[in-house]
Amino acid sequence: MKSKELKWAILISIIILLGYLLPYTVLTNVAEWYGSLLLWTILAVIIIAINYLISRKWGE
Amino acid sequence: MLSTSLVWWTIAIYIIISLFVAYLSRSGKQTNMVSYFLGDRKLNGFVSALSYSATTYSAFMLVGLAGLTYKGGVGAFGFEIIYFMGVSLVAFFGPRFWLVGKKYGYVTPSEMLGDRYENKKVAMVVSIFSCLFLIPYSAVQLAGVGYLLAGITDHAISFTTGVIIATVLAIVFSYIAGIRSVAWTDSLQSLFMIISATLVVILIIRGLGGLGSFFDTIKSSNPQSLTVPGNGFFSFLTFLGLTVPWFFFSLSNPQVSQRLFMPASLKSLRTMLMGFLIFGFIYTIVSVVWGFSASIMFPNLENADLATPKMLSSDLVPPILAVIVMVGIMAAAISTIDSILLTLSSLFARDVYGNIKKDATDKSQLVVGKIVIPIIAILAYLFAQTNANLIAVLSVASSAGLLVAVPAIIGAFFWKRGTAAGALSSVIISGIIVIILELTSLKPLGLASGLWAIIISTLLFIGVSLMTKAPEKKATEFLSYLKTELRKNKIV
Repeated sequence: MKSKELKWAILISIIILLGYLLPYTVLTNVAEWYGSLLLWTILAVIIIAINYLISRKWGE
Repeated sequence: MLSTSLVWWTIAIYIIISLFVAYLSRSGKQTNMVSYFLGDRKLNGFVSALSYSATTYSAFMLVGLAGLTYKGGVGAFGFEIIYFMGVSLVAFFGPRFWLVGKKYGYVTPSEMLGDRYENKKVAMVVSIFSCLFLIPYSAVQLAGVGYLLAGITDHAISFTTGVIIATVLAIVFSYIAGIRSVAWTDSLQSLFMIISATLVVILIIRGLGGLGSFFDTIKSSNPQSLTVPGNGFFSFLTFLGLTVPWFFFSLSNPQVSQRLFMPASLKSLRTMLMGFLIFGFIYTIVSVVWGFSASIMFPNLENADLATPKMLSSDLVPPILAVIVMVGIMAAAISTIDSILLTLSSLFARDVYGNIKKDATDKSQLVVGKIVIPIIAILAYLFAQTNANLIAVLSVASSAGLLVAVPAIIGAFFWKRGTAAGALSSVIISGIIVIILELTSLKPLGLASGLWAIIISTLLFIGVSLMTKAPEKKATEFLSYLKTELRKNKIV
């Protein structure tokens, strides 16, 4: 894996890790729409953006 | 309960339009394997994206995921989002699959493994395990259509009629023009799924007094449903056991990984990935909101699977829209089944028949593939009719069971030392362990079968590979080809 790809892979892994950890720790008592629901929504949007950036130059 | 004639009319219109689209999709002659099963590797990005979405998302979303939300709250959303994030694997593996598929002429993902590890048995074994798990999985989807139609019409349309409609449509959609008719009908169905579901959810939220009061109601009536583990349903280990197999879905399930061979160009592959991500994001939110709405409107259902039929018969949803959503759910199931059907036939024809019969030509493989399509469909139909425990178990086990090929798939692209013996032992031994764990409902150390599948298969793949001789020449050639091409195409 080349270094640019590796950086993306690490970033994605961190985001996924946050998706496991935060809801079960900091947010476990936040019974609001801005708790885990919002967190997972934001992480998903970040993932879309990352995929957009990774694939931006494919086949050019 | 919805009027039976309305249901029939809507189904009829759906069938006529889809058949028309399937008919239009025929182009050129499908006289070889690449043409019939991969659309000559010429699918455009938009169709690829919609078809990938329709294949991935089955009736599970509006029935199962909504039911999970009903039972366990927001954890269901997290589960689906972790899967969603796992599709990022396509950003790394997609171009690699696509490049080697084109270069070496692979039709199936298992064929690729067999070639890369220089052992045809790898291709055969992976294919056979895929069939073992995916035929029962299709059966459960077929049964889902049966239950949905029977439930919604209060058995005016019988379970068996529903299952027969779904089976026949799946066969027809895959038969008319192979992957072309599947991809085009998938596209139509995916649009249908997402538009109808989004519309109805917007209507329901409005009916419940808008987003603000929607969340206020959830907060006051069932605050736990906004957190994990919430009411305890989504304990961390359960969450982990559910999400890990699904995280690798885009690699482990051949009906989606085979899609990586099909786009016309790397640009189309990109459109497929981005299109899917947008579709999936919307559809996930819609399905979860749907489940939350059910928990507000019908808080005390005994069986969470009834949430969706209940919602569709409620006053907030106009009957015509309810029937359209119902057909949307049916379309979601059928678009998944027909893709699985086509993929499994290609696996059988290419990797099982093609390797057993040494002089099998491309043409004879295609004939076998076409014969196998209805046979697999009928098998799934028969399974759907029997209420056998084993079928349900294998279906639930499918996400965990298919996971056992993941180390060999990753190894093919990133590890020179991987060997056929490593691949074979990891797939066979861990596959059998998954089946035993599921049959006996055992959870050693509290870990679900999917977690054991990935742990054991990884250890076996690495351990056995290190003890055996790697196909050095092939590995070097395969990986250096990728290295050059990835750079040339600005992927790395």
